[in-house]
Amino acid sequence: MTQRGPWRLRRVSVLLAAPAVGALTLTGCGGSESGGEAGGSAAAADGFTFTFENASGGESPWQLLADEYTAATGVEIETQGLPPDSYGLTVRTQLQGGNASDLMMFSPGAGNSNAVMPLAEAGYIEPLGESSTELIPEGNEDLFVLDGKTYAQPTDLVPVGMVWNAGAATEAGVEVPGDFDAMIEACKAVGEGKSLFALAGSVPQNAGLMTMSISATRVYAEDPDWNSKRAEGSVSFADSKGWQDTLQTVVDMNEAGCFQDGAAGGGFDAITQGLTQGSALGAFVPGAAATELAKATPGAKFEVEPFPAPTGADPYMFASPNYALAVNAKAEPGAKQAAIDFLAWAAQPENSRTFTELQGGVAITGPDENLAPVYAPVADLLEAGDYSPLPLLSWPNPGVYDALSTGVQGLLTGQGDIPSALAAVDAAWDQ
Amino acid sequence: MTATIRKGPVVGEGSSAAGGGAVSRSRRARPLITYGRWWWALPAIAMVALVHYAATAGGAVYAFTDWTGIGDFDFIGLDNFRRIFDDPKLIGSLKNTLFLAFGFLVLTNVVGLCLALALNRTLKSRYLLRVLFFMPVVLSPLAVSYVWKFIFDFKGPLNGVLGWVGMEPRTWLADPTLALWAVLLVMAWQTTGMVMVIFLAGLATVPIEIEEAAAIDGAGTWRRFRHITIPSIRPSIAIASTLMLIQGLRVFDQVMALTGGGPAGATETLATQVYKQTFALSNFGFGAALALLLTLIMLVFSVLQQVATRDRSQGA
Amino acid sequence: MFRYSPATAVREGVVWVFALLTLLPFYFLVVTALKPSEELLTTSTSAPPSRPTLENFTEVLSGGGDNNILLALGHSVVITAASIVGLVAFGSLAAYVLSRTTRRWGTITFYGFLIAILLPTQLGLVPLYIGARQIGLVGTMWGMVVLYVGTLMPLAVFLYAGFFRNLPRDYEEAASLDGASPGRVFLRVVFPLMSPATGTVAILAGLIVWNDFFSALIFLGGSDNQTLPVSMYYYVGSLVSAWNKIFAIVLISMVPILAFYLFAQKKFIQGFAGGIK
Repeated sequence: MTQRGPWRLRRVSVLLAAPAVGALTLTGCGGSESGGEAGGSAAAADGFTFTFENASGGESPWQLLADEYTAATGVEIETQGLPPDSYGLTVRTQLQGGNASDLMMFSPGAGNSNAVMPLAEAGYIEPLGESSTELIPEGNEDLFVLDGKTYAQPTDLVPVGMVWNAGAATEAGVEVPGDFDAMIEACKAVGEGKSLFALAGSVPQNAGLMTMSISATRVYAEDPDWNSKRAEGSVSFADSKGWQDTLQTVVDMNEAGCFQDGAAGGGFDAITQGLTQGSALGAFVPGAAATELAKATPGAKFEVEPFPAPTGADPYMFASPNYALAVNAKAEPGAKQAAIDFLAWAAQPENSRTFTELQGGVAITGPDENLAPVYAPVADLLEAGDYSPLPLLSWPNPGVYDALSTGVQGLLTGQGDIPSALAAVDAAWDQ
Repeated sequence: MTATIRKGPVVGEGSSAAGGGAVSRSRRARPLITYGRWWWALPAIAMVALVHYAATAGGAVYAFTDWTGIGDFDFIGLDNFRRIFDDPKLIGSLKNTLFLAFGFLVLTNVVGLCLALALNRTLKSRYLLRVLFFMPVVLSPLAVSYVWKFIFDFKGPLNGVLGWVGMEPRTWLADPTLALWAVLLVMAWQTTGMVMVIFLAGLATVPIEIEEAAAIDGAGTWRRFRHITIPSIRPSIAIASTLMLIQGLRVFDQVMALTGGGPAGATETLATQVYKQTFALSNFGFGAALALLLTLIMLVFSVLQQVATRDRSQGA
Repeated sequence: MFRYSPATAVREGVVWVFALLTLLPFYFLVVTALKPSEELLTTSTSAPPSRPTLENFTEVLSGGGDNNILLALGHSVVITAASIVGLVAFGSLAAYVLSRTTRRWGTITFYGFLIAILLPTQLGLVPLYIGARQIGLVGTMWGMVVLYVGTLMPLAVFLYAGFFRNLPRDYEEAASLDGASPGRVFLRVVFPLMSPATGTVAILAGLIVWNDFFSALIFLGGSDNQTLPVSMYYYVGSLVSAWNKIFAIVLISMVPILAFYLFAQKKFIQGFAGGIK
């Protein structure tokens, strides 16, 4: 790792942590941005306040976006970067205390602790206009819309598959596995001291995101509406062949030695170190992390790949907006209008593109000529529409993803079995 | 800094007060003299009433609701408590809490007493050794867990040493059986020095003349320990065990920083579950029910503990 | 009678071996913090650095903005000192009154303080947070001081009450009969006498406040007034297992409290040497 490495990698670790349940994992999060005073009523008539998640100081894409806006329009934005661990709690409390910011960053849907929909349901969020609604990618409506009203504006798409160190893979003589059988072969062939994947097994969310990536072809390719069926109660995790296969895949990978030694105890550093040093060829992190990893490791070639489909099946993956910007329903009228104006500005294609670049994602309207090179391998999938939103976002509460992540962690350490892990997920859903 | 000198005894006296001595002082009427004014106690009472009682009561109300931390909620009676006892995960964390609390209580008291006995007299370097053994106590749990995480790391020094003697490396903190012991070890490592000091203070009150006389009369080491030392340090035993029991029952920092409750809940305790349910999963009502249960357990054990130490001292 | 014999020498040796084992984590701390980054991967984790360097310390100390460790250190010192002052002032007053009164309310109130020691903080945390928000105390240093003084007050009252109960009241009586007001008696007679208990309160409460991470994270997270543990937590998170830098921060965070302890230690030893009454 270069001397600059760890510093650049800060943002990576943030990206790895998202989408996170927001538990206090004591890993992979950096210092907080102290851009503004707590409390939002101090904004001038034409300015507004903006709260977002920020793990480490410096290069928050939100801060940069806010700076761009101020430079372009002269409108002052008072920013407040909050640590991800307690973000959901802090913003909820601020909303109830009546001193939340005018504009806030959330996670779409209801499946994360910093999700926007429960707040919209409770009446704390201002409905938005047509320009926001238009940005919502097809199939993602449930994550932003409630009773026909749009409550949040998406920013960009973040594909979730696996991040692949193509340079190190070529060096090790390993090709991107075309299907699952080829992948198991590759796991065994990858050579001493290396592993096909780096896994942060001690961080439940990483095990969870891996499971998500696998479920794309095992559950959601065949049945993109699986979540709504689960909500109706016509299917369940425990009885679903797809979910059983998904978890069995994890067990198979573990037995085939696909993960690094000591993977069950690994932290996010196992991923950043493994990928940047080339001792691991892939990892399960959001696509935006690939851009950051590429920047942090000069000369290395990173790309985003879908998780290998079962032999004979077609590839499929997830891509969805990671963030949802929403306006405080109780903001002062002037500040509220200023925040809405900002959202309209951010929705314009050229500004949206700027943010997409800053954040390392894919344009909200789908892949275009500005697609970042790391996404080249999945460009066809994305263009053909062979993707759906990250399922956990539309799950009814953060406990579901937590139960799945913990269950998979238990499979890796041999503490549990597949039926009981899936039963726990069902129990969390029904709460 | 004379403070530290008296630390042990002061704590010890406090404990006997906690054991029911609060009222036991004589009630001689002293009409001529007033000691202080009653309203001097008001600021402290107000703060404790607010920060402890009002806040806790506020939190306790939510234990009977399904509040998610925002919006409306309904009162759902004892449903939250029923859910706790139906959930194998939470029963597991209850077991972990009790294991850690009692393991911690026994380990710190036994090792602390041994150290105190060893360092009480005669050893030439005893003052230096006391300083060294106390050093971990002053560290923050956060700093301590960084160090131990490094030691327990898969590529860390502990596995390095095991490698020398030809043993397989282990994932200490990710092993379902080892992780809980690792947490216990770190907790005990950090706190034993404190228990040692409490016992040293108690041992200082054992009159050396009586011990010498007993030794001359032919009483062996064990008999002297059993019949002279133990009765003299009973207050120290009471305070050390109370403190360690409470600290063990509410263990949070070390678990959170070392394992985050993992792997797959193997080191989850009631306190980490309270945190997780309340702040990470937004089940505020459920988290409050868990916290209330933890409070009740702590109250019950403290009372039992007080009764136990009082009975023994009367029997002696 | 209890003389230094060969058996004692063996005992001393055994205790030293145990002491060295206990101190091993400190060895790793120091050794790793002195390693330059490239040695982290090339040398064994338990080996000393071949080229010791202080650059980790200078680097983490020169961090600006959110990673300003020195600023966080300053906040921690102010918050800890102010909390101790509050605890000593209000705690000693309350404990004095409660331990000297013969009225029933005093006993009841004292038990009220004792039970408060047992209440876990988690249950009251969110109501406290909401309350503190409403009066604008969240994110401020004063808010933290109020929170800590309130939280640790039962401990302070408990320790002071134990002390006062065993303090003879002869001096107070004498001063009182000479016509001194209760306030004067407390300030001139009791206050100077209670310094041992004050020391205990200061050290125990000081340690807890200085090392507190959880409530500081919840109440100060995202503000400009972060304390050392919170700052350390975020900074360490951003370092992604650069153990040499992490341990440099850990060592820096230890220095003030360890120095304070070693300073107090001298008296501590004298106290034991002189025997405790």
